[in-house]
Amino acid sequence: MSERDRTQRLLQLYTAVFAGFLVMPVAVATLLSVSSEANLNFPPAGLSLRWYAAALSAPWFLEGVLRSLALAAASTLLAVVAGTGAALALNHYRFRGRAVISALMLMPLTLPAVVLGLGLLFLFGRLGLPLGFGPALVGHAVAGVPFVTYLVLSALSGYDLSLDKASASLGASPARTFVSITLPIIAPGIAAGAAFAFLMSFDNVSLSVFVTRGDTLPLRMMQQIQFYADPTVAAVSTIVVAISGLILWLAGRALRPKARASG
Amino acid sequence: MSGARIAIPRGAAPWIWLLPALLLLLPGFVAPILLVARNSLNIDDPMGGMVAALTFANYADILTDLFYARIFANSLLLSAGCALACLVICYPVAYHMALRASAPARILFWLVYTPLLVSVMVRIFGWIILISDTGLMNSLLTGSGIIAQPLRWLYDTEGTVIGLVHRYLPLMMLPLYTAMRKIDGAVVRASTSLGASEWDTFRRVVLPLSIPGCVAGAQLVFAGAISDFVLPNLLGGTSLRLLAPTVLSEAVTEVNLARSATLATLMLAGVAVVLVATQQAVARWCRWAANV
Repeated sequence: MSERDRTQRLLQLYTAVFAGFLVMPVAVATLLSVSSEANLNFPPAGLSLRWYAAALSAPWFLEGVLRSLALAAASTLLAVVAGTGAALALNHYRFRGRAVISALMLMPLTLPAVVLGLGLLFLFGRLGLPLGFGPALVGHAVAGVPFVTYLVLSALSGYDLSLDKASASLGASPARTFVSITLPIIAPGIAAGAAFAFLMSFDNVSLSVFVTRGDTLPLRMMQQIQFYADPTVAAVSTIVVAISGLILWLAGRALRPKARASG
Repeated sequence: MSGARIAIPRGAAPWIWLLPALLLLLPGFVAPILLVARNSLNIDDPMGGMVAALTFANYADILTDLFYARIFANSLLLSAGCALACLVICYPVAYHMALRASAPARILFWLVYTPLLVSVMVRIFGWIILISDTGLMNSLLTGSGIIAQPLRWLYDTEGTVIGLVHRYLPLMMLPLYTAMRKIDGAVVRASTSLGASEWDTFRRVVLPLSIPGCVAGAQLVFAGAISDFVLPNLLGGTSLRLLAPTVLSEAVTEVNLARSATLATLMLAGVAVVLVATQQAVARWCRWAANV
């Protein structure tokens, strides 16, 4: 074996170990959901579906899922509108303050989420507005903006502005141009950005813990893990992984280039 | 073109596209952060609530208190350590996938994006199963006679570190892989064909050119880890006090809102200083990075 081959083998082996490390906790958390026992021993002593039954009949789980799905859907919608508009402005125009705007759009990604969570707590308190869905919606939408902006911007790279000019000179209104020219080109970026924003919201703890009453799904799971760790959480985990997988699959379908059915 | 159209002043077009983002981010992002900074100058009322004031008393209290100094030091060291650990762990994988493996894109997607998108609560629960005193790791180690006493990793610093590294590995992987993909294969081949050994090529070509990716990834991991309170609270113990859990407990449990705001402002300033300083360091000492 040459030295290059040996290095190659070592790197392959290492990559496999790395993959194992990444996957392991998710694998055991989901596999434990079919345990027949009430403890967290792995591998489980026997198999049963009782923890799924327990999860599906637990009010905290059903309420949490619905609340978190609604929150994720609403905040993703806001993030997609805001992020797509920002990406188009940043890509198509050179204007005063562009650098500042560009930094602002990505800032929610590096800014510590606890600072924003605390700030939203202060803001809604000062305005006399109730905590709960409102501030969580604002916070989650803000956290989704960088993903949408960044992914739509990368879908726009290489976008030919003369397409817009051609469309306008043929008499199309700006709205028509946007819907029939721009939107199809950036749709994969929007889909990927929306999937990220949705899953980030669905999993968000650091903002929700400040501004909700602890009733989103991740916060409910956190309370369960802290106080009554039993395989119910494993069943819930499996369902959560399945929901995330479904979202990714849907986004993946939107990302695939479509065969043109109509001209 | 026909019909009456609203005259759009020149130069307004980008701002029309930006309007939704500004309507969301100015009140939902900029205002809350300014409010945190403003409230850090208030005084906590021991009877509850805040008294409006303009004083640096909170800063003076916190910056002269050894208790808080230790918390800041713990958080800085732990987050920097996590960034370094993620870099070391990711580097060979990124190198392998960017410059050697045959079909990297698909594997990368499954390796990096998927864990990033799996709920952190699921992962925490998995780690509890794996590293608790009676968990899989300890039952394997004690069962095979390698150790007599189970390792107490859960609810201690080890648990926090493992959880943080696992959570933020993907954030290191993405910029690192991107930086290495940009390395021109022709440069690598030129180095080899001029007689450099594989190790020399790595040390003198690949490593320097990957530094921007290393720094970008380390910045993301650092910023993520220092503001994370979930993992320290669920996997860590009480022996190592950290900044983000303290911000949360001061705000929610102790209801010292002004003090919490002061800690949050200091955290924000600390993160900003570290990010700007590392950016400057790259610009200054890695001039070649500008051309990558």
